[in-house]
Amino acid sequence: MNDEDDTRAAEYVLGTLDRDERAAFERALALSPQLRGAVLAWEKRLAPLLDSTPAVAPPPALIDRIEAALPAGQGETIVALRRAAQRWRRVALAASALAAALGFVVVDRVLRPPQASGTYVAAINRGGDRPALIVRVDLATGMVFVRPVAAETPAGKSLELWYIGRGAAPKSMGLVATGAERLALPRGADVEQATFAVTIEPEGGSPTGGPTGPVVYSGQLVRE
Amino acid sequence: MLDRPEAARLIAAVAQGDRAAFRRLYALTAPKLFGVALRMAPDRAAAEDVLQDAFLRIWTKAVTYSPEAGEPVAWMAAIVRHRAIDLLRSRAARGREEGDEALERIAAADRVDGQVADAAILRRCLGELDEIARSCVVAAYCEGRSREELAARYGAPVNTIKTRLRRSLAALRACVDQNG
Repeated sequence: MNDEDDTRAAEYVLGTLDRDERAAFERALALSPQLRGAVLAWEKRLAPLLDSTPAVAPPPALIDRIEAALPAGQGETIVALRRAAQRWRRVALAASALAAALGFVVVDRVLRPPQASGTYVAAINRGGDRPALIVRVDLATGMVFVRPVAAETPAGKSLELWYIGRGAAPKSMGLVATGAERLALPRGADVEQATFAVTIEPEGGSPTGGPTGPVVYSGQLVRE
Repeated sequence: MLDRPEAARLIAAVAQGDRAAFRRLYALTAPKLFGVALRMAPDRAAAEDVLQDAFLRIWTKAVTYSPEAGEPVAWMAAIVRHRAIDLLRSRAARGREEGDEALERIAAADRVDGQVADAAILRRCLGELDEIARSCVVAAYCEGRSREELAARYGAPVNTIKTRLRRSLAALRACVDQNG
């Protein structure tokens, strides 16, 4: 990373960028793991300055307002799949280049709709550097384009893709095959904070309508 | 000051949608974080908005937290600071004067083991900057002062402040990384 970019990261953390510079920097941040690393390093360097800030009790009613504004509760299946989502690692540069060549924007777990086109991308990842699947969601059409990069299907089994909306049970989106697939989002799907997961199911998919096998890949769409 | 292993454990629970953990995390950390917000926001009502926004983001972003993102409470404080700065930069704001006592306060502050070394290094490195540069860094970080406000305070052109800040930050980086 050149000094210029790193100093810009420092100014961002310090807080001295003006409003437009901040917005521009945050767009760059969403697309660059290196820039995010630089920001984290600056947060770490400067954090001790807050040690002496005195604690002040907030008004008692504030927590109630906050809780009232939180999204609805989540079920146990969501809990299990979110654990898998936490293992989502950064997308390798090679994978980013591949995705860019495919016309996708691959972003490490923070996603931002590019301009006004209303597409979101999740890189579904088992925990290694290379994403196993690239999922592109087009809000306008409600279509999901799934392209396996390195997905492996155990013999006699099928890989099934699930959409887990905020606070909802997983909904099957179909099986992940070796070629690229175009699958439809469940009706009324909300991609904000949705998780996509892939499980190993019996050949032909889950017989029950819900995931029965282990989660092997998961990824999340989070709007900054 | 704050029990870090508990905060990390609570954030992980929040990431799984555990509301009781969220309330406990709030109880543990909100006073400190409200203090951070108060120091930066233009008034108390704005500070409450900042704290509220920050905790909603903490709820959502808990799933993205990992130790690489920093100490749990520092991670939360960064969210608060950035909300405050967003607010400040989108509307003009005035604030209080900040002196050079920052160095002494870093030395005197209550902190958990492990953070002591980082604070000592920052203190030494800040000490190597000239007085005005140091004040600018502290005022910007702790109070959210803009370049324009710093320029007005020190009677310097905005571009001069910008250049000095960038040089000071580069010097801080070199010093902190060399000693860290």
